[in-house]
Amino acid sequence: MKGKVKKTEKVANGMFMLQFEAPQGFNVRPGQFVSILCPDLTLRRPFSCADFEDGAVTVLFKLKGKGTSFLAGLQPGDEIDFVGPLGNGFDISDKHALVIGAGVGIAPVYFLNKFLKQSHFVGAFKSEDEVPKDFEPDEVIIGGTILDHLERLIAEHKPEIIHACGPSVVLRAITRCGVTSQIAMEKVMACGIGVCKGCVIKLNRGGVVQNATICHDGPVFDGGEVVWE
Amino acid sequence: MTVDLRVDLNGLTLQNPIIAASGTYGYDDEFSVFCDVNKLGAVVTKAITIEPRPGNEGARIFETCCGMINRIGLENMGITEFISSRTAKNGAAVQIVNIAGSTLDEYVQLAKICDGKVGAIELNLSCPNVAHGCLEFGTDEKALYEVVSAARAEFSGHITAKLTPNVTSIEKIAVAAQKAGANAVSAINTVKGLGIKINPDFTKEIVRGGLSGRAIKPVALGAVERIAQSVDIPVIGMGGIYTLDDVLEFFAVGADAVQIGTANFTHPDICEKLADDLAKFMEDNGFKTLDELKARLR
Ligand SMILES: Cc1cc2nc3c(=O)[nH]c(=O)nc-3n(C[C@H](O)[C@H](O)[C@H](O)COP(=O)(O)OP(=O)(O)OC[C@H]3O[C@@H](n4cnc5c(N)ncnc54)[C@H](O)[C@@H]3O)c2cc1C
Ligand SMILES: Cc1cc2nc3c(=O)[nH]c(=O)nc-3n(C[C@H](O)[C@H](O)[C@H](O)COP(=O)(O)O)c2cc1C
Ligand code: FES
Repeated sequence: MKGKVKKTEKVANGMFMLQFEAPQGFNVRPGQFVSILCPDLTLRRPFSCADFEDGAVTVLFKLKGKGTSFLAGLQPGDEIDFVGPLGNGFDISDKHALVIGAGVGIAPVYFLNKFLKQSHFVGAFKSEDEVPKDFEPDEVIIGGTILDHLERLIAEHKPEIIHACGPSVVLRAITRCGVTSQIAMEKVMACGIGVCKGCVIKLNRGGVVQNATICHDGPVFDGGEVVWE
Repeated sequence: MTVDLRVDLNGLTLQNPIIAASGTYGYDDEFSVFCDVNKLGAVVTKAITIEPRPGNEGARIFETCCGMINRIGLENMGITEFISSRTAKNGAAVQIVNIAGSTLDEYVQLAKICDGKVGAIELNLSCPNVAHGCLEFGTDEKALYEVVSAARAEFSGHITAKLTPNVTSIEKIAVAAQKAGANAVSAINTVKGLGIKINPDFTKEIVRGGLSGRAIKPVALGAVERIAQSVDIPVIGMGGIYTLDDVLEFFAVGADAVQIGTANFTHPDICEKLADDLAKFMEDNGFKTLDELKARLR
């Protein structure tokens, strides 16, 4: 699928946003992702959708290596080759939700939060200059880890569900805090559609441990089911 | 002018020589979300074993310069579920079932179960032979001969022996496969390798597995040439094919058909595109049949 770049912009230290027009009829739910072709790389690069409005997809990304450097250098009007939407997406409900994004993990939950009626949206960042412009959450936590605040956040907001994305240490702790959770996971991907079995994790479903692909069965999983490596 | 892309692989005729490689295309029509799978010559399934397998623990994929290393570990649904739910779903694209065993007996059982149920199998001979110090079947002429002839005795359809490049003399192995009654040989499977990333804090990420993609094309071309010079049965070439030029290069060194693996991940419609590109190239250059084109290339 071809996308036409509308803009790229630096939104925080080491973080960029890319907005591109998707073909007519494209649609995406929060938690789903797109996989973008980057020149000279064997594997496409997956990125969560951080927004979708008027046919334009927004992704928010952290500068890491070749792929993300290529994206950061795109100019308005450039064409990109992407596949998507991939993956399952978050459940959207009327439950009292605590929404947590750590670092660039803010991307999918920012999009999700727009669909939630009762939520408190928290973003956790290493430093002030890493908070992405225009993607500000209700509450910003700087330094330390979100885990230092989890107990307080739960006491204050009494969530029925936590939706989260971020590093696996954070996600793992969230799945153990006693509140039902839905978390968006990551792993290096090849096919992106569940056939190569390159991105599997283990789930415990009713006492039976089984494999699930992050790209196709996820990337969003019920926190309680994930078996951590 | 219409061109005839059909290829006869010694008992199996495909509508064209473009085949999706095992492990990169699912079981049958998964890629139909990206392209018309029925425009391919064939789809090889991911490797199927007697029992379902969960695959390896830990990181399974490592991207390298011009390629990737995988250690999926044969995760699959097992032959019983496969036969009951996933055979013959495609139309014009032939389904070739890739089978893998840990013992001679497992290959025999698999061949027996497939007999009459599927038309073509590809023996994945890059599997560790548990009874013989886990040396891969395909690295030993004798072990390979035993597996192929045992499968031949049980399976009446078309058999392709898929060879590993991790040997001193792949042509000798190919000759053993021919003697044992394989209808065709395919090569190459992945090249043994290691990917390592040293993090700033000196922790390391290491993935030991099979290298595929552009990086292995010269290895594959070399292997295919040596095999084609040594056997009379058809040779199916693969390893790093991304473009029509790559396909022509494989034909030039003796391949009768080609498989496309890793490229499907980057360009999910590439197999359909290569089939179209090949037809157009033949039309533009006045080749009516594949044999005419191959003769010109060789
Ligand atoms: C479902 C999913 C959603 C993601 N969403 C976002 C997002 O919204 N924003 C964001 O900044 N990042 C996201 N990522 C991570 C992002 O894909 C990687 O940071 C990116 O691929 C790095 O590419 P690079 O070439 O710049 O860096 P490299 O130097 O090639 O890689 C840096 C690290 O990125 C990871 N990575 C590399 N290749 C892949 C691949 N093919 N698939 C997955 N991970 C890979 C590896 O962990 C690697 O160590 C997501 C990953 C997944 C799986
Ligand atoms: C992720 C992955 C999984 C694979 N799984 C199998 C398999 O199950 N059986 C098999 O015979 N070959 C398997 N292969 C090997 C390919 O079929 C092919 O031989 C090899 O990748 C070389 O071709 P390529 O460079 O076009 O990928 C796999 C390759 C990859 C990349
Ligand atoms: S990337 Fe292939 S199964 Fe997920």
